[in-house]
Amino acid sequence: MAGHSSAVASHTGNNPFLRFVAALSTLAGWCSAGMIVAAVGITCQMIVVRFVLNGSTIWQTEAVIYLVIAATLIGLPYVQRLRGHVNVDLIPISLAPRPRFFMAILTAVLSIAIISVMLFYGYEYWLFAWERGWKSDTVWGVRLWIPYLSIPVGFGLLLLQLVADLVAVLLGIDKPFGLE
Amino acid sequence: MDPLLLGVIVAIATILVLFSGVSVAIGLLIVSAGFLIVFDGPRSLELMPEILFGKLDNFALLSIPMFIIMGSSIASTRAGADLYEALERWLTRIPGGLVVSNLGACALFAAMSGSSPATCAAIGKMGIPEMRKRGYPDGVAAGSIAAGGTLGILIPPSVTMIVYGIATESSIGRLFLAGVIPGLMLVGLFMAWSLYSTWRSGDATRLGSGSYTWAERFEILPRVLPFLGIILGVLYAMYGGIATPSETAAVGALLCLLIAMIIYKLWNPRDLWLVLRDSTKESVMILFIIAAAGVFSYMLSSLYITQSIAEWIGTLDVNRWVLMGAVNVFLLIAGFFLPPVAVILMAAPILLPIITTAGFDPIWFAVVLTINMEIGLISPPVGLNLYVINGIAPDISLKTILTGSLPFVACMVVAIVLLCLFPGLATWLPNLVMGAAI
Repeated sequence: MAGHSSAVASHTGNNPFLRFVAALSTLAGWCSAGMIVAAVGITCQMIVVRFVLNGSTIWQTEAVIYLVIAATLIGLPYVQRLRGHVNVDLIPISLAPRPRFFMAILTAVLSIAIISVMLFYGYEYWLFAWERGWKSDTVWGVRLWIPYLSIPVGFGLLLLQLVADLVAVLLGIDKPFGLE
Repeated sequence: MDPLLLGVIVAIATILVLFSGVSVAIGLLIVSAGFLIVFDGPRSLELMPEILFGKLDNFALLSIPMFIIMGSSIASTRAGADLYEALERWLTRIPGGLVVSNLGACALFAAMSGSSPATCAAIGKMGIPEMRKRGYPDGVAAGSIAAGGTLGILIPPSVTMIVYGIATESSIGRLFLAGVIPGLMLVGLFMAWSLYSTWRSGDATRLGSGSYTWAERFEILPRVLPFLGIILGVLYAMYGGIATPSETAAVGALLCLLIAMIIYKLWNPRDLWLVLRDSTKESVMILFIIAAAGVFSYMLSSLYITQSIAEWIGTLDVNRWVLMGAVNVFLLIAGFFLPPVAVILMAAPILLPIITTAGFDPIWFAVVLTINMEIGLISPPVGLNLYVINGIAPDISLKTILTGSLPFVACMVVAIVLLCLFPGLATWLPNLVMGAAI
């Protein structure tokens, strides 16, 4: 079930901005992978407590859910860098180089616009939780600003990677849609 | 504006945006934001991050990265080669043993790895040269592997089925069971066609193959059985009501990683990172589409589009099978361009009310939908498997691969027709194991 995109990771050339963003996205990818591994570990621990030790679990289910959400959102920039977000590249492939270039700019600008919206309102949502001290209505009662933090962080980093991708295409360092 | 007309406009806008080459998840967010701004005002956008987060706030979603880790740790080892060897050694006496064992290996490996391209690559790398050496036609060799690789999304455990279960709030356990008999039926149809077309092409003696001693047959089992054992154990734990799919999948993921490390010596941190990186990449991609599709379906219901379509279908005076035919054509076309997960997530909020209003079983429909998606995997323009086969057997022309795959597409269409005639093929097993659906 892998994606349809056959392109490889975006090029950075020697541009310091692009390399910085790439490094940041890769770091985010490691964090994301780490959180998925942590989710595996905690789930297995929960099973041992519940089925082997016959104990009850309080925080595990909720922690695992938030870890998977954070892994998803924080992993967004890394997957963008690897061009892992599937797209339909039928039209871009069949376009001549010039229109393909403009199409790439158009889609990049649209993507940047929507992710900026998500970042802005995501930050606002997080701020609400922070200022009003929201807690989850479970026994664990986790302070919700902690899991919500992954929304602005994830979308902020994704925004940075999208801007870097646009810059790379504009400077001719990377090909539009990564297509040769 | 009439919600139905609005629905048509949303559909057209979605197609236009997605075909621009923007990534599917971001495209869905763009379309949702656009219509929310126009019809509910700009302030409605502030709900989007909350809805997106809420969509991911679900323990069942954990099973997606877990099953993906299971699959990619299996796919990163020589397990595919070993499985191929094992079936070849055990099935060699059966007439046409080679193509039968190839398809069997595809089905098993596809189920274990859950990845269609990984299956084509792992089994095809050995299976295709071997079949050609023994004189099987190129088209059969390439087509059988391309088609066999698609079985992974139907035979459990299947991430595609999990995604359908989450999108439609159906039981994942039921969905897994529903795929078993149709999956075996497809394997049977594929085998029948391969044997027939090889027999028709002339020399029937080529259907026989080499012989192996019993020692050779047993020698390979210890390398194959552990992974199979884990998969069966995970399924058993799920159906035994011992734990939820997410919990059993997490244990399965840990065990598969451990076995890959112990039996296949996957010790190198770099190799382990590759497994983890690929799993993270695929999980994040799918989960982001799930989240974005959640926002998309919120937009659809907030503009009363979903409800109006269901009402409209209810008043429509057409035969339900004509309706099912139209839905199938739609899915088939969508499957030509989009990966299965994206099709399911976008289509589920619109199609599910249509399906249930017309009196179809959503579990049965999952199987029909999945077979449609399988057809998309071996049909141009984006039939991923065709290109994977082209990559591992570059001297077989793409045209031969394509024409070789067409009869297998026909087998899948036959399977869909059989499922329509005998819905029990999909619903009998889940009803038997889990009791009749309410």
